[in-house]
Amino acid sequence: MNSQPQRELGEVLLKAENVNLSFGGVKALNDVNFDIRKGEIRAIIGPNGAGKSSMINVINGFYHPQAGSITFKGVKRTSMKPHQAARQGIARTFQNIALFKGMSTLDNIMTGRLLKIRSGLLSQAIYWGKYQREEVEHREYVERIIDFLEIQSIRKTPVGRLPYGLQKRVELGRALAAQPDLLLLDEPMAGMNLEEKEDMSRFVIDTNDTFGTTIALIEHDIGVVMDLSDRVLVLDYGRQLADGLPDEVRNNQEVIDAYLGVSHD
Amino acid sequence: MSADFYYGIEVLLNGLMAGVMYSLVALGFVLIFKASGIFNYAQGVMALFAALTLVGFQNGQVPFAHLINAIFGTEVHHFGWTLPAFVAILLALGVMLIFAILVEKLVLKHLVNQEPIILFMATIGLAYFMEGFGDLMWGSEIKKLDVGIPQGGNVWVEQSTASLGGDGFYGFYLDSLDIYATVVAAILVTSLVLFSQYTKTGRALRAVADDHQAALSVGISLRTIWVIVWSIAGFVALVAGIMWGSKSGVQFSLSLIALKALPVLMLGGFTSIPGAIVGGLIIGVGEKLFEFLIGAPFLGGATENWFAYMLALLFLVFRPQGLFGEKIIERV
Repeated sequence: MNSQPQRELGEVLLKAENVNLSFGGVKALNDVNFDIRKGEIRAIIGPNGAGKSSMINVINGFYHPQAGSITFKGVKRTSMKPHQAARQGIARTFQNIALFKGMSTLDNIMTGRLLKIRSGLLSQAIYWGKYQREEVEHREYVERIIDFLEIQSIRKTPVGRLPYGLQKRVELGRALAAQPDLLLLDEPMAGMNLEEKEDMSRFVIDTNDTFGTTIALIEHDIGVVMDLSDRVLVLDYGRQLADGLPDEVRNNQEVIDAYLGVSHD
Repeated sequence: MSADFYYGIEVLLNGLMAGVMYSLVALGFVLIFKASGIFNYAQGVMALFAALTLVGFQNGQVPFAHLINAIFGTEVHHFGWTLPAFVAILLALGVMLIFAILVEKLVLKHLVNQEPIILFMATIGLAYFMEGFGDLMWGSEIKKLDVGIPQGGNVWVEQSTASLGGDGFYGFYLDSLDIYATVVAAILVTSLVLFSQYTKTGRALRAVADDHQAALSVGISLRTIWVIVWSIAGFVALVAGIMWGSKSGVQFSLSLIALKALPVLMLGGFTSIPGAIVGGLIIGVGEKLFEFLIGAPFLGGATENWFAYMLALLFLVFRPQGLFGEKIIERV
């Protein structure tokens, strides 16, 4: 197992301060404070409806918190659009896979490179010179990712036809193609069988090792999370229950109560 | 072979080329529908507006001449120069680009996340606005459009095929304009397909058409893509406007060619570029052949007016997603 909990932590990459988010009367996030440090694998766990996905969506710009702020790479922001977040180096995957179903695996992963291609519309239109070189360059990078994720054989298959586990892998590939500074994984192992889960865990760890990518992931399966991550944030009903090393979190009484239920008598 | 047989082939060829003209209009619809899920009612009017603008620039008309004269009591109508067709086309293209940006800024931007029917209503409004605006800007009289495309029977085709038939056959009669339109449409479609398959922007367009959320997460700005899509649709409208305008003059009825595009879309499916082409060809050939074989001899003729709609109706009953459209599967 990869359990080396006391890994050296880098500088703060992202800092969330007093984040509050509500939908009508429902408080999805209530004064959440945490940080993500460079190079770590940071897990966000919690029971259903705890606000885990909301947190990811706030970081990624899909939701705008009513109060509080996010500081990413030293720049503080209150609200931003998802495509701007992508531009700053945040890539993500979705809980219910959001791939371009009609496009091939290769094309899907190539869309991850969109922001890296610099050529203007005109040079694309005539497909000449700089743009052609750029396409080749990016294609090479994408091939590296395809090798890395071991999906060579489905390179040209439209992703709509792939089984669930592979679609999840392609989605990870698309996020990796952007060479993100921060990679957000929303339940990367949800709905997978044991073997697929092990594969995916391996890819997450390898991504972190090989590309040095900082990863924040949401997961239900506590066992997986504890092995995988450097630090764990626990949410429950939008509230922050605990934050710390896996072992600390594992032994926290409040966390145990939230997960196992506690009798109120 | 009998002359009748060759005449049948001639009808077929003419049908194919008429079909290309329908496809040109249908293409504009498909582009916008694919990228943004909007059925753009204004596509026909865009073709009219583009053609009006082109003629206006070419003849050196003063825009809003009537308005200016009415307000200031002046008598200006023309700048007194004419522009070469090529320059006028570039200028008209520029106007269509500005139009695309304005549509995004003034209309679409405010309707993000609205129901498709709302967006559809907005394009109806847009259509009527543009119709009036085009009249106001360039005047409502019928104008002749000549960008140098030859018209009338193509002598070369006629002479080189004359020897095929017997005594009563003088070669195929094909309109040069239709031949040009076919070539232009083929180039247009090929370049659109290559663009969308092999370039970054094309990939972004397909991504947006497929999944908005995922597109945002890889850093695609929806607003930029919409401007690009409407610009391309404006460009296609200009091409359709030039072809149809050269054929039948630039006038209000040009905007009604959009109606002919509807059956094409029913056949080809709203989401398929090849569908728009094939649908157009089937309608073009179908209506000409039907008129030739059944309509004229048995039904008293003029079946071309309704044949396309009839065919579309049959398709709606038996294959509602069209020939190439995505199959409609409802998840329960």
